[in-house]
Amino acid sequence: MNCNHHPDDSTLLSYGACSLPDALSMVVACHLAVCDHCHDKVADAEQIGFGLMEQEPVKSISKRSRDSMLAMLDEPVAEVCSETPIISDDLSDGDIPAPLRPMIGQWFSDLHWRTMAPGMKQFILPASQGKLRLLKIAPGTFMPSHGHSGSELTLVLKGSYSDELGRFSLGDVADVDPDMSHQPVADTHEGCICLIATDGPLRFKGLVPRLLQPFFQL
Amino acid sequence: MVHLRLVETSMEFKPDQAAQKQDFRLILVDLAKSRDKQLFMQLYDYFAPRLKSFLVRKGANEELAEELVQETLLSVWRKTASYDPAKATASTWIFRIARNLWIDRLRKEKPDMLSPLNSYPEAGYTPSMAACDSGRLKDALGALPQQQAQLVYKVYYEGKSHREIAEDMDMPIGSVKSGLRLAFDKLRVRIGGES
Ligand SMILES: [Zn+2]
Repeated sequence: MNCNHHPDDSTLLSYGACSLPDALSMVVACHLAVCDHCHDKVADAEQIGFGLMEQEPVKSISKRSRDSMLAMLDEPVAEVCSETPIISDDLSDGDIPAPLRPMIGQWFSDLHWRTMAPGMKQFILPASQGKLRLLKIAPGTFMPSHGHSGSELTLVLKGSYSDELGRFSLGDVADVDPDMSHQPVADTHEGCICLIATDGPLRFKGLVPRLLQPFFQL
Repeated sequence: MVHLRLVETSMEFKPDQAAQKQDFRLILVDLAKSRDKQLFMQLYDYFAPRLKSFLVRKGANEELAEELVQETLLSVWRKTASYDPAKATASTWIFRIARNLWIDRLRKEKPDMLSPLNSYPEAGYTPSMAACDSGRLKDALGALPQQQAQLVYKVYYEGKSHREIAEDMDMPIGSVKSGLRLAFDKLRVRIGGES
């Protein structure tokens, strides 16, 4: 797919480094599913990270592990069937992007949308870092003008919208600078569905608190 | 001709690093055919301690890290046939397997954790710097202006988000993003990718 608007390189760098909050990562993952151009940049970011890690001070491995590795090399490979159910990523099988399907299924029309304001419905997704939601905007509807305190990523999943930055269609990502406020309007007859992630003020440090953080508070 | 290329190589890389790098790619390719266990253990001795350090940095405790190291390298042993030296360096290929196992583990512990991390692209695409050498990488990082190097450090070594970095360094998020953008560009250029 030929997208006109991509995540900022700084966003792709952080994604490749595994350092993007998970709500934002999900938006990037959904974009990567349709954009080869960004794939290659993420691959570079990963490679930089692994290259750096390779040069870090090492941690010694016990002799027991080394011995057991040698022993395991002779073991026959058991035929394992994949534990994860196979989820179709065929577009004729649903209109929800593949990375979201394990959580919410295949079709936008099956979701329980909650009305926020006239012409605007939302569906909240759980995220452990940042906030993630789907927003459905009826044709011609203006979103309230807003700025943000942190990062915001918006991916168009259906229809298109326009704002001060331009026109965004299917697959496009708006990687909005927080200092900029904008007012999107759905600009086609079919309305617009977007996936929006914000890096909210709430973020826990360290792995364990992140795992324990309950879902969720929107 | 061969001799000339060797000379060029040794000017560009530290010889031992260049040799090592070559070896691991070749070793992986060789292993697919030879299934030579002693050869594999050379690879193990180099990567196991590095992978362990990587996993501990990600947040695994010593024991889990070592368990995942074993799982990673066993998987390397079994999957050598699918390694394509044109698409990834040995370390990228191996570290990626470890990273994915680590993410899988996180998801098992917290099944409903939103984990787009499992949507990392698999090795079906080509990084523009497949031949990059980590010695050169470190040099390239060292050549960055200090603030950009610091930003890169915070992303890769401290795992911080742009907003957290902005708070740490007391600068607007917009400046964090533009600094990282410039740094990423320079690293890609210096290491052989295009901007
Ligand atoms: Zn893109």
